[in-house]
Amino acid sequence: MSLTKVSLSEIVRQQYVYKLKAFIQVFMSLVFVQIIAILFSQGGSGMMGSGGGLIDLEVHYYSADVVVAFTMLWGFITAILITTKAYRNDDFIFVTNRISSNLSNMLFLLTASVIGGITSMMSTYLVKIIIALFKGDHFINSSAASAPSVGLFFGICATILYIFLFCSLGYLVGTVVQLSRVFAFALPVVFVGGLFFDGMRGQAGIIESLFTFFFMENSFVLFIFKILFTVCLSFSAAFILSNRMEVKP
Amino acid sequence: MSMIECRGLTKVFGGTKALNNFTCEINENTITGLIGRNGAGKTTLLKIIAGYHQQTSGEIKVFSEEPFNNLTVSANMIFVHDQLNLPTALNLQEILDVMAGFYKNWDRELAHRLFDYFSFHPMQYYNGLSKGMKSTFNMILGLAARTPLTIFDEPTTGMDAAVRKDFYRALLKDYIAYPRTIILSSHHLDEIEDLLEDILVVKQGQELLHMPIAELREYAIGLEGKNALVKEWTKDREIIFSKNGAFDQSYVVVRNDFSESELYQAELAGIEILPVSSSDVCVYLTSKTKGGIDDVFNKG
Repeated sequence: MSLTKVSLSEIVRQQYVYKLKAFIQVFMSLVFVQIIAILFSQGGSGMMGSGGGLIDLEVHYYSADVVVAFTMLWGFITAILITTKAYRNDDFIFVTNRISSNLSNMLFLLTASVIGGITSMMSTYLVKIIIALFKGDHFINSSAASAPSVGLFFGICATILYIFLFCSLGYLVGTVVQLSRVFAFALPVVFVGGLFFDGMRGQAGIIESLFTFFFMENSFVLFIFKILFTVCLSFSAAFILSNRMEVKP
Repeated sequence: MSMIECRGLTKVFGGTKALNNFTCEINENTITGLIGRNGAGKTTLLKIIAGYHQQTSGEIKVFSEEPFNNLTVSANMIFVHDQLNLPTALNLQEILDVMAGFYKNWDRELAHRLFDYFSFHPMQYYNGLSKGMKSTFNMILGLAARTPLTIFDEPTTGMDAAVRKDFYRALLKDYIAYPRTIILSSHHLDEIEDLLEDILVVKQGQELLHMPIAELREYAIGLEGKNALVKEWTKDREIIFSKNGAFDQSYVVVRNDFSESELYQAELAGIEILPVSSSDVCVYLTSKTKGGIDDVFNKG
């Protein structure tokens, strides 16, 4: 029987198509997470009140920030999930090597980020409708948010990038944990411990400066570069770390 | 032409050597039976061939290439084992479709017919199958993939006798129609004996025997008779197994290097000459001590 030759790109494409079908549960959990987040959004993301004499004024701000934050978390967890054995070993029944498996995972996470980004930005409208129907006595809509605009487009792009950033970090964390179980305890300890330590010292530490680095960027172009650079870095680290990993049941 | 070449293959798991300086060669278009006791290193060897594990030292070539992290080897090889975990989100029909996409030689027709024969339902999920049904489904995957190298690691786990028979027959028929290299590891040598061309016996991570199955049938003979008599006849011979029975009788299995006339004389002297089945030979060869389990209970 003669050997068949296959190309890497062809296998990556096959695996990507397969993963969109096989990892369908991931999108079910996205729906679930976003519904919960929309419910949480009803609490409002800010409130301002003033009064004097006969007038009592309260302004509540509502936004889909919670939905976006939840979706980022979803991206992070999804990425960890697909590095676990149950998912990783699936590839080895079919045709694969470590590179193609990682590449198709990355493409899948990118797709998931796009879907997550668009749906979470679109949920703004759902939040508004719910407020208008059930809550507000007077609903003041800002002109910027009243219709789809360039702002919405940038908003969606930024959200997608944020989610993809979290996916890439989750993928790296998941891969590191697969290398050694010790990291499953060590990483949360370092992260949470770092937060506490900064809090005790009372000054901005590395975690807070990272937050500023990614979330307080005013220039959109610079922001894209920052995100893409970090994403490339964490995916390449994950690729290199997992390239010698053995398949164990 | 050899399909698989191993030289000095060693694999260490946490201090113990699962494979210890293992050397063998498996030829193209043969069915080879991989026989060994539990923990002899069969699965480790297969996993290294399949590119799942990387050897600690030594050299391995599959289709003249290193199998670890190799796309060509992966595309031309299917490794069916009992811990196969297939995607839980896909039903059986969808799994077959995905397989067809990945494996170029996939035979849809055969897969479909086997699927019907073993009365699977397309909408069933793999995790809902019983152990035996899982093994049966794995077997369909292994056969229909028609890869130049097909590896079955204990494929009959949990199958009932009828399905096991069907499986062996299906394997043989498909092999004759589409010759390819098949490695079959199993505990039931007596069942697969008629199927095999070559046999590879592994003991404690090393190759013990690698020969055509026909030769193994002639490999050893059993001598039974009075203790002293048997002892005299088996002196200076390679004793594979010995057992002392009641009434001064003993049974000894030795390497069959007797000539015709020697056997005749032995029979005249009152020794019974018995053939030894190949599966018994394997059990005797791979056991750690000469006496077997009886020795554990015979303290005196």
